[in-house]
Amino acid sequence: MSTNLESLATLARSPHATTGTSRAHEGELVVENVFHRYVFAGRDTEVLHDVSFRIAAGQVACVVGPSGCGKSTLLGLAAGLLRPSAGTVRWDGTPVRLGPNPHLGMAFQQPGLFPWMSVRKNVAIGLRTRGYDRREARRIADEFLDTVGLHDFKDAYPRHLSGGMAQRVGIARALALKPRLLLLDEPFAAVDAFTRLKLQQEFKSLLALSRPTVLFVTHDVPEAIALGDLIVVMSKRPASVQTIIPVAREERDRASPAYARKLAETLACLGVTSDMT
Amino acid sequence: MTSTQAISRRVLLPAIGVAMVLAIWEATVVFYKLPAIVLPSPFAVVATLVDLVQTSAFWRDVGVSLYEFVVGYAIGVALGVAVGMLVGERPMFRMAATPVIESLRFIVPFAWIPLTILWFGTSYAGKIALVAYAVFFVMVVSTARAIAQVEPTLSRVGTMLGMGPWRLAWKVHLRAAAPMLASAARAAAAIGWIAVVAAEYIGASAGLGLMITNAATSLTTSVVIAGMIVIGVVGAGVSALIGAASRAWLDYR
Repeated sequence: MSTNLESLATLARSPHATTGTSRAHEGELVVENVFHRYVFAGRDTEVLHDVSFRIAAGQVACVVGPSGCGKSTLLGLAAGLLRPSAGTVRWDGTPVRLGPNPHLGMAFQQPGLFPWMSVRKNVAIGLRTRGYDRREARRIADEFLDTVGLHDFKDAYPRHLSGGMAQRVGIARALALKPRLLLLDEPFAAVDAFTRLKLQQEFKSLLALSRPTVLFVTHDVPEAIALGDLIVVMSKRPASVQTIIPVAREERDRASPAYARKLAETLACLGVTSDMT
Repeated sequence: MTSTQAISRRVLLPAIGVAMVLAIWEATVVFYKLPAIVLPSPFAVVATLVDLVQTSAFWRDVGVSLYEFVVGYAIGVALGVAVGMLVGERPMFRMAATPVIESLRFIVPFAWIPLTILWFGTSYAGKIALVAYAVFFVMVVSTARAIAQVEPTLSRVGTMLGMGPWRLAWKVHLRAAAPMLASAARAAAAIGWIAVVAAEYIGASAGLGLMITNAATSLTTSVVIAGMIVIGVVGAGVSALIGAASRAWLDYR
């Protein structure tokens, strides 16, 4: 019995174990000359135009840029939900294919909770799909719902939640999978400013525990500086990478002049001057 | 409003509705001095009903009609939902199936009655096939439409959580489509029940439809009307049962 289980476990691991290149590129997300176009309302629209960047294992990249510039498309490509029109996206050294990726956790802009499941089940269902037993899935779900401050809403149904609460469930659902690749599409957008700061803090300490590779789309430049190791600034549609700004540790301290300089630098890339008077 | 008032309203108002119909009926009989062969009085029909429910032949007829309905309905719903899912999930299948479905679904079940009698005689099988046919098309069209309307984010979430296409179809799309399927299932039940009785009118060896046509041939009009009332009551009961079952399934709303 135990030998059977072991051989099954070996089988499950083997695709990665046998790929020669995967060790060196493990945990790395590479976007290589990606173009993406789609037909919308009968018109062929180019959303991404030759986008390239690389996120090393365990790094957090924040993507900022004007709305409608294809940031969500970029996440869809990294998640295996979309196929690029040209170019490749590589995860762990191999091209991302359409379909489920067992290393992936993702929080969507519209949280997309299943309305027929309680909040707890919404978080636990992904763990069940990935082979956890019922009790373990439930325990982990509860733990992450506590983390996002939804202790009292575990048995509630999604229709009872405010927009911000639903988004927090979406974040808990993504984090509970303990993903090696975490994709977040403006996860704190519907959350009030105070809760947002608290969630950012929680989020940073959670990341420090498991060190996933993170691609984080946001509109909020201070948030990008607070959370990112690098900031990918996108131009307007058809979007390409305008600049990649590395963020140093000391630049995250909001009381420091270094932070003010970084903020001004990033905003300037987005076409906002610091002289607002 | 107190709860006793609420209850009395819920009982009283429907009772008034029924009483009005019976009063108009009785008044018509009295006013035009109609003979019982043309239109018996409601009291005579009630007396006939009371007699009928004490005979085993009556319950056999009800049983046959219900049996034909239930089997045909189950087949129609199962096949209809399955094909509807394929149409909704697989564009290739949709393109191949749409012309067939779209042309067949406008051939009303009643148009098939002569053929079913030719093929199946007066057996149960013909009625079962007819109900299944009627129910199938309602379910195919509603299921395909409901699946197409599922919020796209839910599909993305399912894939992200590790679901492959079949699991996604089964666990996410079908479940998200459930409210629309439930109301379609209820509409399909009405159409299926009507189809059974109509088919029995034309060719059957047993069933409520046959009971009524036999009574009409022997000019026992009160049995005809009593049978019609039974058809209505059984149909409403079946519909309420399906409504209650689907509410239990959809309690999250």
